[in-house]
Amino acid sequence: MSVPGAARTYEVGSVDRGEVLRYLGYRDQLIDEGLDARIDEVVARCLAVSRARGVTRVFEVAGRDERDGAPVVRLSGTALELVGRSIDEHLDGAVAVGVLAVTAGMGLDAELRRLSLTDRVAQVILDAAGSAVVERAADAAEADLVAEAAARGLFCGSRFSPGYGDFPLETQPVLLAALDAQRSLGITLSRSLLMSPAKSVTAVVGLFERPRGTVRASCAACPCRDFCLLRRSGRVCRS
Amino acid sequence: MLDASVTDPTDRTRRPAGGPLAAALRGEGFLLFDGAMGTQLQARGLAAGELPELLCLTNPDEVTQIHASYVAAGADVVTTNTFGANADKLGDAATVEEVFGAAVACARASGARYVAADIGPTGQLLAPMGPLAFEDAYELFARQVRAAEAAGADLFVVETMADLAEAKAALLAVRENSGLPALVTMTFQEDGRTFLGTTPEVAALTLSSLGAAAVGVNCSLGPADVAPLVERMLPWASCPVMAQANAGLPRVEGGVTVYDVGPDEYAAAVAVMLDAGVTIVGGCCGTTPEHVAAERALLAARRPAPHRVRDCFAVCGPQRLVALEAGQVGVIGERINPTGKRKMKEALRSGNHDHPLAEAIAQERAGAQILDVNAGLPEIDERAVMCQLVSELLGVTTLPLQIDASDPAVIEAAVRSYPGKALINSVNGKAESLAAVLPVAAHYGCAVVGLTLDEDGIPPTAEGRLAVACKIVAAADALGIPRHDVVIDCLAMAASTDQTAPRAILDAIRAVKAELTGVRTVLGVSNISFGLPFRPLVNATFLSAAFGAGLDLAIINPGARRMMDVVDSWRVLSGEDEQARFYVEHYADRSDAAPAAAPGEKNVKLPAPDAAAPADPVSRARELVLTGREAAMPDVMREVLLAHDALFAINEVLVPALDEVGRRFEAGTFFLPQLMAAAEAAKAGFEVIRETASTDGATLSGRGPVVICTVHGDIHDIGKNIVRMLLENYGFEVVDLGRDVAPEVVVDAVVARRAPLVGLSALMTSTVPAMAETIELLRERAPWCKVVVGGAVLTPEYAQMVGADFYARDATDTARIAGEVLG
Repeated sequence: MSVPGAARTYEVGSVDRGEVLRYLGYRDQLIDEGLDARIDEVVARCLAVSRARGVTRVFEVAGRDERDGAPVVRLSGTALELVGRSIDEHLDGAVAVGVLAVTAGMGLDAELRRLSLTDRVAQVILDAAGSAVVERAADAAEADLVAEAAARGLFCGSRFSPGYGDFPLETQPVLLAALDAQRSLGITLSRSLLMSPAKSVTAVVGLFERPRGTVRASCAACPCRDFCLLRRSGRVCRS
Repeated sequence: MLDASVTDPTDRTRRPAGGPLAAALRGEGFLLFDGAMGTQLQARGLAAGELPELLCLTNPDEVTQIHASYVAAGADVVTTNTFGANADKLGDAATVEEVFGAAVACARASGARYVAADIGPTGQLLAPMGPLAFEDAYELFARQVRAAEAAGADLFVVETMADLAEAKAALLAVRENSGLPALVTMTFQEDGRTFLGTTPEVAALTLSSLGAAAVGVNCSLGPADVAPLVERMLPWASCPVMAQANAGLPRVEGGVTVYDVGPDEYAAAVAVMLDAGVTIVGGCCGTTPEHVAAERALLAARRPAPHRVRDCFAVCGPQRLVALEAGQVGVIGERINPTGKRKMKEALRSGNHDHPLAEAIAQERAGAQILDVNAGLPEIDERAVMCQLVSELLGVTTLPLQIDASDPAVIEAAVRSYPGKALINSVNGKAESLAAVLPVAAHYGCAVVGLTLDEDGIPPTAEGRLAVACKIVAAADALGIPRHDVVIDCLAMAASTDQTAPRAILDAIRAVKAELTGVRTVLGVSNISFGLPFRPLVNATFLSAAFGAGLDLAIINPGARRMMDVVDSWRVLSGEDEQARFYVEHYADRSDAAPAAAPGEKNVKLPAPDAAAPADPVSRARELVLTGREAAMPDVMREVLLAHDALFAINEVLVPALDEVGRRFEAGTFFLPQLMAAAEAAKAGFEVIRETASTDGATLSGRGPVVICTVHGDIHDIGKNIVRMLLENYGFEVVDLGRDVAPEVVVDAVVARRAPLVGLSALMTSTVPAMAETIELLRERAPWCKVVVGGAVLTPEYAQMVGADFYARDATDTARIAGEVLG
């Protein structure tokens, strides 16, 4: 059960090496032993300095409007509004919206900064590994929302973040404030709307009365699998 | 109104004169704060994500009701509803002055005895990790302070700080813009550190030294988990300690947020803190008037418990505190100093600080506990270079720093924003120095080194040096600088010119320790051997004698094995190394016949074993670039240079290899880490060539310069760093301005160096306008300069739109463009 305001710590014990390589632009190049070992070393370092934490909160959909030609999804009990065609389509039919913020923590930023001054190859690898870690944290937070949805007899759609499509990045300040994310996670926002720690993710997820056909066809392929709270009780989120 | 007397703003002990607040700030009485504001507002229907501070203007009666409920519960102090009321967060919604005016009025209307103006974090992350400059944070806070003081607040509470630098900016803003006391609390995670890694000890030492009227913990966790954190603060806080915990963890019950620690359980945990010596309490998230009432009942039956503060020399960086109890000795690393060091001079002149940063890491590994930082070169802007260097050092070492400069303005600039308690090197007995440096140490709560010299030079006798020391200590006493923050340097002089000098120095150390209670001593040791052969032996012998005479801190090269041997063995003889554990662990296998390297000296990146190494050094060097093996490059390049000159090594060996790497990267046979590892290997080769060339007297002038940076508002620097690596490898001189660089700074650098090319990087659509702005200013003031842009969000169309001359797909593309522009 997710709790507003209370940060959860997620155990991210491993990251998919293939994903780290993908962030590094890897396309089946030959990797020699030296680089291979170096990647392993930096990934291990990444897991050691990261601290994956997150906050989630669910708001009911209060209504849908249009403002200056753009659709707006309004939510109950929060100043947060979801503006734009893409988020409107993404949430089409949603009765509630789950909001999440996750971060891999400032320790990772400090290590990135240290490496930017001392070992720039390792910095690039650590940056990729950190992206993989925070995506895992987002999966875990999504699993929390899936469980909360199930408890209400609802079904989750997929994550959608400010900056995707025409969902404005300007949503960030209010979204983070609605989660009290500075206090609970230490996430701050620059004037140009960059989050610190750098490896942080915010997203919204629609909660629907019927399962969404598009996502989670099977548990085996589900990114939230490792963090799923439903499977332990023998249920699945699809039905 | 507060019964406070406004005193000299440099007075560390500034306290109100009478009443319960004054008694509490002397540690002689309790002070009870209120509980949560936010939780109470939410219970009254405030929507998540709204600015709660605006309710002071729109719903003042409700805000006053909340304050009044805490007054009724017995709170001495209510805290204004102004947590996020800074100019940045309020935006156009209201002015800071309007909000503080209304908020203080709401609090005052509750009938509270004292009104504390509440100041929370800015909401932005400070440099160097984030984009907000220290002085910009200071200005946001200063405006709040002036508004609150004008509105009639009685004291300030700076709370929920996670960044020590930000807490420091807020505390300075109060002290420099108001006569009212500032109580400062920080928030910690379960691991006992703030989000930025600061420990309770570091927070307590830094903030109480800086003149906080009280320090403590708020928010964070439930009271049972806060108790051990404030207990860790107590020995390091020379002021009262304060705790405002959450009422445990929140959970949702029937759609309502509730907290799991009730008033009785809360008060029971607070009792533990009071027993430990905490005197100022209240509550944070989830606490209610009932919690405060339970605390009031608890306080009624008690007297403050004794609060014992450690009387020892202590300094700290943002994450690590270094303390020396009487009888312990410490090591200050001396290597970051350009005097007599060619590479250090070059680094400080060029702004490429790789060398000093590497020295910092090496000294930390070799056992230094504090690092001396000196950027004193006549032809540079010492103040700017010192600040930049300190900022970069904070990124690579957790050791506290000793700010070493002769110009008090340089010292002040460096210690003001330093996130910790620094050691200043130095003041001396000259009236001018005492008047300029000691007030800086007092104002910023630093420890300070005092040199025993004055207008008459260095006294030759022990008595003469003691007399100067007495003069320095008396002046420090007068400013309220604690004795344990004063460290006297009796100044080592060459034994070769005066053989009575060593004894005079040792006698002076003894005399200072005997006559000036509480004062510590420091010595730069190596001067003693000047003019003698085999200097390390003389230095080591003298260091042993100095420890014997009572020396506390040695300024040495910790990489000099013989010196660290003296330190490690002395710690056995003095009993500091209990049961000789450290010594046995590190020296069990040592023998003088085969001196071991310093422990953990080099973390060499091991190359994979090379099965079929080509014999010819030229081919081997090329191969090392292609396979990205840096470690073996210096030796191979030296071999190349036995048979060839520098130009051949560059143009026929390294550059063709790099070209091949670039081709492979573009073709997709190499990916990013391979490109970068190749660049590293080539760089190692260039460094050898440069060293050899400069000893030959030849010059290898770089092409350029190319000025590069990440644009204003953007803190991503990985792409920019890759570009820098490649450009340097192709022999371009690069001026790297870093990340988040304002347009004027870019243009100033271009104009100053008449740079023919600028590279700008942006990673976010939201920072592309800053790129356009920079280019516009460049066109105006540096019309000769070409501009290449790149970064994740850039496209050729975007590049054209912002007015760039070139769009670079990636780093190799940038190198190609630089080649075209610069020939």
